[in-house]
Amino acid sequence: MYHNVRLRASGARGTERKEGPAQPLFAFISPVSLVSLGGLFLKKTVCAAAGLLTAFLCCTPVFAADGSAGSTSLWFCIPFAGLLLSIAVLPLVKPEWWDKNKAKAVIFWSLLFIVPYAVTNGAGQSASVTLECLINDYLPFIVLLFGLFCVSGNITLEGDLVGSPRVNIALLVLGTLLSSCIGTTGASMLMVRPLIKINSWRKRKCQTMIFFIFLISNIGGCLTPIGDPPLLMGFMRGVPFFWSLRLFPVLLFNMTALLFIYFWIDRRAYMKDIAEGRKPDISRPGTQVHISGGHNIFFLLLIVLAVILSGILPSLPVFQSASGTARGLHLLGVTLSYPSIIEIALILLAAWLSFRTTDASVRTKNHFTWSAIQEVATLFVGIFITMQPALMLLKTSGAELGLTQPAQMFWAAGALSSFLDNTPTYLVFLTTAGSLGFVSGMATSVGTVPMKMLMAISCGSVFMGANTYIGNAPNFMVKSISDENGIRMPSFFRYMLWSVCILIPVFLLDMVLFFM
Amino acid sequence: MDQNREKVIEIATRIYDLDTKVYQCLGSSLGRVYTGRRDDCIESLAVLLSGGRQTYMLRSELALVGNMARTIPDKDECARAMEEYNKILQDVKELPDTFGKVDIMDKERIQLNSIDLRNRFSENDHLIICIGRTQGCAGTDIGFALADALKINFYDTEIFNAVRKRLEAEQDVVPDSLGSDVYPFLNPNPPRSRSSFKEMLNTITRYHGLPKEDAVFFNESDLICSMAKKEDFVIMGRCADLVLANNRIPHISVFITAPFELRVRRIMETHGLDHKKASHLLRQLDRRRGSYYHFYTGSKWGDPVNYDLCLNSACYGIEKSVELIARMINQQIGRPDNP
Repeated sequence: MYHNVRLRASGARGTERKEGPAQPLFAFISPVSLVSLGGLFLKKTVCAAAGLLTAFLCCTPVFAADGSAGSTSLWFCIPFAGLLLSIAVLPLVKPEWWDKNKAKAVIFWSLLFIVPYAVTNGAGQSASVTLECLINDYLPFIVLLFGLFCVSGNITLEGDLVGSPRVNIALLVLGTLLSSCIGTTGASMLMVRPLIKINSWRKRKCQTMIFFIFLISNIGGCLTPIGDPPLLMGFMRGVPFFWSLRLFPVLLFNMTALLFIYFWIDRRAYMKDIAEGRKPDISRPGTQVHISGGHNIFFLLLIVLAVILSGILPSLPVFQSASGTARGLHLLGVTLSYPSIIEIALILLAAWLSFRTTDASVRTKNHFTWSAIQEVATLFVGIFITMQPALMLLKTSGAELGLTQPAQMFWAAGALSSFLDNTPTYLVFLTTAGSLGFVSGMATSVGTVPMKMLMAISCGSVFMGANTYIGNAPNFMVKSISDENGIRMPSFFRYMLWSVCILIPVFLLDMVLFFM
Repeated sequence: MDQNREKVIEIATRIYDLDTKVYQCLGSSLGRVYTGRRDDCIESLAVLLSGGRQTYMLRSELALVGNMARTIPDKDECARAMEEYNKILQDVKELPDTFGKVDIMDKERIQLNSIDLRNRFSENDHLIICIGRTQGCAGTDIGFALADALKINFYDTEIFNAVRKRLEAEQDVVPDSLGSDVYPFLNPNPPRSRSSFKEMLNTITRYHGLPKEDAVFFNESDLICSMAKKEDFVIMGRCADLVLANNRIPHISVFITAPFELRVRRIMETHGLDHKKASHLLRQLDRRRGSYYHFYTGSKWGDPVNYDLCLNSACYGIEKSVELIARMINQQIGRPDNP
């Protein structure tokens, strides 16, 4: 859920359409080169590579994706790929370096997009794209995450409930259903610490956090427009609020299949833990569970309200200018709409009130630190900037992909949502589906879309954010919070191995059962 | 070799202590990296430190401790923790290559599996004999007679349950109605009652969300360990051998069995069953005991590698089996030979 992202037209100016040699670029991003980034000559390597690549991008005619002049080059996606590879590889090969210098890496890859883009499209255009992305996409996204992080950090579960396969499953079910009520990010932030806490007696617990990401941080958000921003965008384009409830059978199937798999994995881990002599402290008879800072649920709901308002208010005439564009504050040539300002203000107010009204001891018990949100804020600013060309390409070329079947839409929307922001991905495919000329189905502002196709696009966008750590914002937050609390989470690629082995087969079944 | 071992243990202890200190400084209640018993964690760390294929796990675990240490709000405490963390990292890096070739865990296992029991028990340790047995092999009779011969206490299922209930009553704990029905192997056909939602909720509340069997197992494990610190005894089943091994409490583990047909015959006589029913009962009970043991220990029930001594009771009969076990124990640990 990269929140509140708006689509923009590609602003690339005239670039010649010729195919340039690919080899030097691929050589640059090869794993060997990345490993060398972490070496002794890191600085020199990075500077030299940056210079070479910039020069290359500036001097070499580029391949235009949609065949028309003025479109964005595929080469501009390289910084995005580079950043993803850095996130995936550097924490493994140079963890200490990465810990101290991840901000530098983010700046490096961001500049690698901004500078060549400025050279080929003009400094103004490059600045506009970057600012638009930072102010209208990144700012609401990180403020929402920050607010939820703060408020949930002030709620702690105390007691002696013990993390066993069945208790974990019960909490995963609860969290999954909660995701549709308070959003995947809200549910993730609310549930992650209690789940970590009750499993603290165990050694093998990363599988619980992985399935947490699968279910609560992603799949659970499919039932309402509050659950995940793509559905909110759909709602704003004429899809009825309760239409998403039609996805309940799909959710139920996925939840059942995944929890069945989870049960067997967690049961094995649980048995191994017991066999090693680990046991929870159950010396006190009866289970006592109580929540400290429970009043913060109110602030959580305030944040949910802010998100809903950000989806509803833009359509009201009072927030629109005479020309129909959104009214708002103009910052460096970019307009931050009033609904966004209201949303940001409400979220920050909720976070502030939460801190003011909650005893610091609750945060201490929760091991509340700023590290997780700092890490996400740092990495995602780079991800947001560097993924712009990919989103532009998607916008310009999405309709030309020749996708006409629900199953195709499901996989295309899903594959792109695994790495890109799922909101624009959803909109691109919704628009594409709306333009195919169907006469029966859901009437939306972008055209009539058959029910099955709408379901496929919705499910693909929402579900497949679970495929990678960067597929959805709460994924990385859950990873960071787990990392901070004694849970050895899998690396980027190892996590993908989990998703490929577990999620993809379930999604294949989804396709067969629901989208064929 | 001993110096290597000492060095490894010293570093393992420092890692464990650092984790403890970091956790205390943070005041967190969410959990830490090393959550088991101190001795167990240090031993596991020593195994990781001694090299082999698992060194990546040590790195990951150290990184987790480092992650937590970096978040200590008090800057001085944080600096001290990080200083210790860096020192540990340095010490780990400086471990000689030969450490990888020192397989400490194997050495331990050899020690544990040796029949040289004299080295296993110190003066402060109690004599604990854990007996696993198949149904119908007269294992319980042998255990009882052995306890009598050695003049130590005997705990079988019923007695053990009674002790547990008494302890719970003494501690003013909510009385637990758990009977032998939680152990499927004690009753081959346990009644399957349909519990209401309220009862189910009560069960969840009473046992901290754990299945009843698991909660009982954890409580019994505690009980076995605390008893092992106070008295000598013979205990039948309950995975006591693994419970004690996990808690590093010296004990002797014995597995007693007999040929299936002989066991069937004995069950036919003692329970007045026909051959078919007796065979069915034995198979069922063996299967249940095996799965119970496997679930809680991860090991195969009756596998000779898990025991100090495996005995075919049919070869000796009850009396001679007792004599054999008692003689071995007395000779090896220097007790007077008096069965």
